[in-house]
Amino acid sequence: MFLGVDWGAFVVVFATALAATAVIVTAFATGVRLFADGAVESDGGAGAAVPSGGPSRSRPLGATVAGGLCFAVGIAAVLVGLWLIVPQFH
Amino acid sequence: MDVFVTVVLVVVIALVFDFTNGFHDTANAMATSVATGALKPKVAVLISAVLNLVGAFLSTEVASTVSNGIIREGDGGVQVTPVMIFAGLVGAVIWNLATWYLGLPSSSSHALFGGLIGAAVIGAGVGAVDFGVVLSKVVLPALISPVVAGVVALVATYVAYRITRQATLRGSTAGFRHGQTISASLVSLAHGTNDAQKTMGVITLTLIAAGYQGAGSAPQLWVVLACGLAIALGTYLGGWRIMRTVGKRITDVQAPQGFAAETSSAATILISSHLGFALSTTQVTSGSIVGAGLGKKLATVHWGVVGRIASAWVVTLPAAALVGGLSAWLASSSTAGLVVVAVLALAGGLAFALLARRHPVTHETVNDSDEAPAAERVGASRGRGE
Repeated sequence: MFLGVDWGAFVVVFATALAATAVIVTAFATGVRLFADGAVESDGGAGAAVPSGGPSRSRPLGATVAGGLCFAVGIAAVLVGLWLIVPQFH
Repeated sequence: MDVFVTVVLVVVIALVFDFTNGFHDTANAMATSVATGALKPKVAVLISAVLNLVGAFLSTEVASTVSNGIIREGDGGVQVTPVMIFAGLVGAVIWNLATWYLGLPSSSSHALFGGLIGAAVIGAGVGAVDFGVVLSKVVLPALISPVVAGVVALVATYVAYRITRQATLRGSTAGFRHGQTISASLVSLAHGTNDAQKTMGVITLTLIAAGYQGAGSAPQLWVVLACGLAIALGTYLGGWRIMRTVGKRITDVQAPQGFAAETSSAATILISSHLGFALSTTQVTSGSIVGAGLGKKLATVHWGVVGRIASAWVVTLPAAALVGGLSAWLASSSTAGLVVVAVLALAGGLAFALLARRHPVTHETVNDSDEAPAAERVGASRGRGE
């Protein structure tokens, strides 16, 4: 304790938040990358709201499965978040 | 009769504070989603309002003290009277409206603490305030929160751009927008559970102090309902002025940055409050956006705007304390004085509302960044793209 702040707890908060965010963002971005399968957004990604049409070429099954798993990490993180927010759960 | 008038005034001003709290903090969760076009402005504030209302009902446990130890309450300390609470709330509301007018995000909790400190100093002397607690619970977290969230968001933004090849891969913009919508919704829900509860606590503790409710009892249903609706209504009406600052003027937030910033904010807020080291939503989200600006290659962070926000944070506590102190001084003289304060507060609020109408910011102009250089303005309008 220094200046009334529990700095140890603060370091734990910082490390946990950094690790959790890094895992979620890495998984999500990897999912985006696997689903794109190397295809590039037509206008450089600045303004396109939704990619037009379906995939221009078929995506390998492996990429779809792995991408799905990556997004599942995101879904799991949201559920953990809800568990943390709702006091009735703990 | 006097007690009844005081309690009614406290309840009214507490709900007004709750309203300004929602109004102010819409920007925390939704500014980046609006800026990146992940959500249309009206849809964003509607989602945020509903989640704030739901959050208000989820969490109704009331703290044992109004000020969380900043004022030496209870045995051997001062008695926090309804008049002091009223004066503190007036200070908080006036400061919230002032920062809203200037379009600056600032912590509503700090404004409330400031108002209460001012009222306590006038009502019971400087000794009533525990400045050690002010340092450890207000000043240091205010310095720490934006740095923590900023570093996390910086790393997250770098990773997001790195993996998706600077977000040029097909579907990356849309993907990040979806992700951002979800993490921003979590921030809104967390906000509802925290902030509506604060006002419920203030009202319930006032009712207990006035003898209308048993000590230690839970908030009454009408209090929960009124607080939830007040914060939701404030959120829905949206502090567009603040949203424009947060979403467009700190840095022009793009979809991957918005996703990284909101995910960092959600993670930091949830983990910190779970580990009992609660950090301010406003300060975390503002820090995240600066971090997201720094994490993207060639993105510009407008340090002038960041400086203005930082100054507002420094001034929040003393400014609200000054208004709270003056209000306490006037209101504690008599019931007439109390009514005079209420009328003056109402006039002050209307003055800010009228001033704001001279150059309004609405859901249609929330994404304008007219203070930014011309080149950026082109980028901003392309980013809206609809």
